[in-house]
Amino acid sequence: MGWEEVQVRGYPEFVRTAQSYHGRPIFALFCGDKDAEGRSWCPDCVTAEPIVRKELHNLPDESVFIYCLVGDRAYWKDPNNEFRKNLKLTGVPTLLKYGTPQKLVEEECFKAELVRMLFTED
Amino acid sequence: VQAHKEEDNPQKAMEGNGLTPVPDSYDYDLIVIGGGSGGLAAAKEAAKYGKKVMVLDFVTPTPQGNSWGLGGTCVNVGCIPKKLMHQAALLGQALQDSRKFGWQFTEEVNHNWMTMTESVQNYIGSLNWGYRVSLRDAKVTYENAYGEFVGPHTIKATNKKGVEKLYTAERFIIATGERPRYLGIPGDKEYCISSDDLFSLPYCPGKTLVVGASYVALECAGFLAGLGLDVTVMVRSILLRGFDQDMANRIGEYMKEHGVNFIREFVPVKVEQVEEGTPGRLKVTAKSTTGDQIIEEEYNTVLLAIGRDPCTRKIGLDKVGVNINEKTGKIPVNDEEQTNVPYIYAVGDILQDKLELTPVAIQAGRLLVRRLYAGATTKCDYVNVPTTVFTPLEYGACGYSEETAVEKFGEENIEVYHSHFWPLEWTVPSRDNNKCYAKIICNIQDNERVIGFHVLGPNAGEVTQGFAAAIKCGLTKEQLDSTVGIHPVCAEV
Repeated sequence: MGWEEVQVRGYPEFVRTAQSYHGRPIFALFCGDKDAEGRSWCPDCVTAEPIVRKELHNLPDESVFIYCLVGDRAYWKDPNNEFRKNLKLTGVPTLLKYGTPQKLVEEECFKAELVRMLFTED
Repeated sequence: VQAHKEEDNPQKAMEGNGLTPVPDSYDYDLIVIGGGSGGLAAAKEAAKYGKKVMVLDFVTPTPQGNSWGLGGTCVNVGCIPKKLMHQAALLGQALQDSRKFGWQFTEEVNHNWMTMTESVQNYIGSLNWGYRVSLRDAKVTYENAYGEFVGPHTIKATNKKGVEKLYTAERFIIATGERPRYLGIPGDKEYCISSDDLFSLPYCPGKTLVVGASYVALECAGFLAGLGLDVTVMVRSILLRGFDQDMANRIGEYMKEHGVNFIREFVPVKVEQVEEGTPGRLKVTAKSTTGDQIIEEEYNTVLLAIGRDPCTRKIGLDKVGVNINEKTGKIPVNDEEQTNVPYIYAVGDILQDKLELTPVAIQAGRLLVRRLYAGATTKCDYVNVPTTVFTPLEYGACGYSEETAVEKFGEENIEVYHSHFWPLEWTVPSRDNNKCYAKIICNIQDNERVIGFHVLGPNAGEVTQGFAAAIKCGLTKEQLDSTVGIHPVCAEV
């Protein structure tokens, strides 16, 4: 069946979407919001996105890739935002395998090798 | 002899004439067999010097079918989950104490095993992942496969699907660690668990019999009792063999007074299942070591902690001529961690006559690699290594036990200074005022140099670490006396 991508924005939409795909491997990339021209306020996210996208073809069959915009810079900086509190995210970009402790944070997302490892290995 | 092209690999040559030749160029500079504390430290260090390194790590499932990820015993089924569960038990005690300090909560306080275990396993999972990321980042090749020697400079790696691959390396480090020993009695493998199973047990163990008197046995019995379970420890002879016996007995007394049952001088001879379940009911039959007395008792869980055996018997050491101690399975090495085969080294728990501790394995692994690849000469110092036993009353030690000091220096040449102390934090909740204890052993002939340090009390590990550094610097009694204490802390004693 291959893999599919879903794009969401904000915590409630992310949770609803993840729950709807329960039972399939779910990978998620969290990035800062993008402006009208499509540029994120988060420079590391700008760097990481193309690197991650280049490795998507390695995703196992049946997986879901959720591309999630977390919010604007102010929202993200708030230490009590839902992503920090509930998903324990510590930075953006974060690339993770949902439901496992496996994740890559910030500069780790720049390394194609690590992204590939996250997507392909147990 | 066949003429080899440059690209020929040992596999082809093997098929050709049935013998494993010594390859003239290797796949790797270094292959580390075992991804635990020693193995990973050595592998990462070697990668720092630009060496091509491979790590093989494989966990043979327990008789109960349990297995775990990269990181070795310490991370998965040792120090880390042990300390977290010990902490869980301490927190239970703290909750009780807190009422005396004014905290008011009306409900009964209960412990949920599943909640604790899930949190602990999640944390361990993040460590497993962290190791894989750091190996990959350091460009160390990692394979989840069982490594064994098949010929000079050559190992065979078999993954969990049974696929075999051959690899060659210029040098090898064996860091395969140990696994819990079983009793060899009817029902042991079918019904008993070990520390390999305990920390991820998917149900509360209930009424538990712990067999053994090792630190593993006492630490596990300690936190299980601290979580509110009915715990019995069955001891064949003495507690904590190899440790200062006076301290060992104090630990035992404390545990007994705080709800752990001890059955001394008995060994189990049979374990039978009365009822299946999670947990089920098991009947244990035990025989006295001093007479003919037989006892029987039912428990939900039987935890075996009678010792650990090195994983050295099935890794093909005979194929490359590495000597092992046939009786214990341990590998004798020189003071540079080299086995009798010059290109094969070993670190960690499998070494003969060396301490079985994570920091020792890490230090030995790193220093070994620096000597091999960075021209260093420092050897691992196995003397005055501090340790801590995380029993309900923690015990920290560095240096000689009283018995060993007497044996080595003579009773008349050592002086022991000791003291009971009552932690300030224990006063208000009326906890024991005569259990915490510290002693130092001094060598009279050498300026009263401190050669042994022992402390029994809260945070013993934290207290001992600093003293270990002082002992390494040659601390004398006079220097200790002239050091002003911090008040009010336990360590000032």
